[in-house]
Amino acid sequence: MKIQVVSKILDANERIAVENKEAFDRHHVFVINLMSSPGAGKTTLLEKTISQLKDSISIAVIEGDIAGVDDAMRIEALGIPVVQINTGGYCHLDAGMIRDAFNEFDLTKTDLIFIENVGNLVCPAEFYMGEDIKAMILSITEGHDKPLKYPTMFQNSSVILINKIDLKPHLDVDIDKIKTDIKKLNPSAVIFEVSCKTGEGLQGWIDWLKTASTSKRL
Amino acid sequence: MHEVSVAQALLDKVIEECLNSGYKSVRSVKVDIGRASGVVSDALFFAYNALKSDTIAGESSLIINEIDIAARCDDCQKEFTTQEKYVYECPFCSSWRFTILKGKELNLIEIEVD
Repeated sequence: MKIQVVSKILDANERIAVENKEAFDRHHVFVINLMSSPGAGKTTLLEKTISQLKDSISIAVIEGDIAGVDDAMRIEALGIPVVQINTGGYCHLDAGMIRDAFNEFDLTKTDLIFIENVGNLVCPAEFYMGEDIKAMILSITEGHDKPLKYPTMFQNSSVILINKIDLKPHLDVDIDKIKTDIKKLNPSAVIFEVSCKTGEGLQGWIDWLKTASTSKRL
Repeated sequence: MHEVSVAQALLDKVIEECLNSGYKSVRSVKVDIGRASGVVSDALFFAYNALKSDTIAGESSLIINEIDIAARCDDCQKEFTTQEKYVYECPFCSSWRFTILKGKELNLIEIEVD
């Protein structure tokens, strides 16, 4: 007996993602899915960002890692709500994991949620979780060839931070090529050149975040 | 290995569909996988076969139909297809702005049950 089914294999994930989005919208919570390769500076960016914003915006963080609680402890030290998800080997977060995690937060008292995805330039871009935007970090130590080698993530991210620019004098990296290739792949991407270590360039990103999360509260 | 998540989601759907239709086992599963879907067919095949054991789909075979990328250039408006897994530019005018028409599919099409 043959049965014609014709449905999306990942529709279960899509369904939960849409429910997540509805919950975020109902409470006017702006949600960012932050992605990068391991070690590009996601957690350090969050530390710097949260330190500057936590007095004016109420922030919560969902940390995704294969294993360990190091990242969650770093965020918890800043005094804001955080949930650590350990995927136990899965290379990305999905909508169901996010639903379980944000139920730990009081959405009525939250303006902004960062989801720090598993460090990986491939799969996280493929799974929608209900976020408002995808943002990614490329650190210049990874090399200027990455946008064209991992195009999907650069195409799907509305905001792209080029991090560790303080290391430029020590590297043979062409930052202009990174920006040119990103613009080819994704003409509307907002690009910030930053150093999370020195703080250079971070103000532009902070201002962008303030505007984005405030506009969702209106 | 996000093919494992995709294979698990597929297996869950197949088993649910089979049981809901009142049948006891799955003989074969047909899927459409677009070349630009981000899923590698070999890895999906491997993951499906690893996950299916000890389920009612344990004896089932997975039949993968790969869909080529088809796109329309936003600048010259010409349509083109490719068997590559990724398109950077229009082969006619070299524009980087185009709309993907086909090739992102991750669809379950048909199951054969007993």
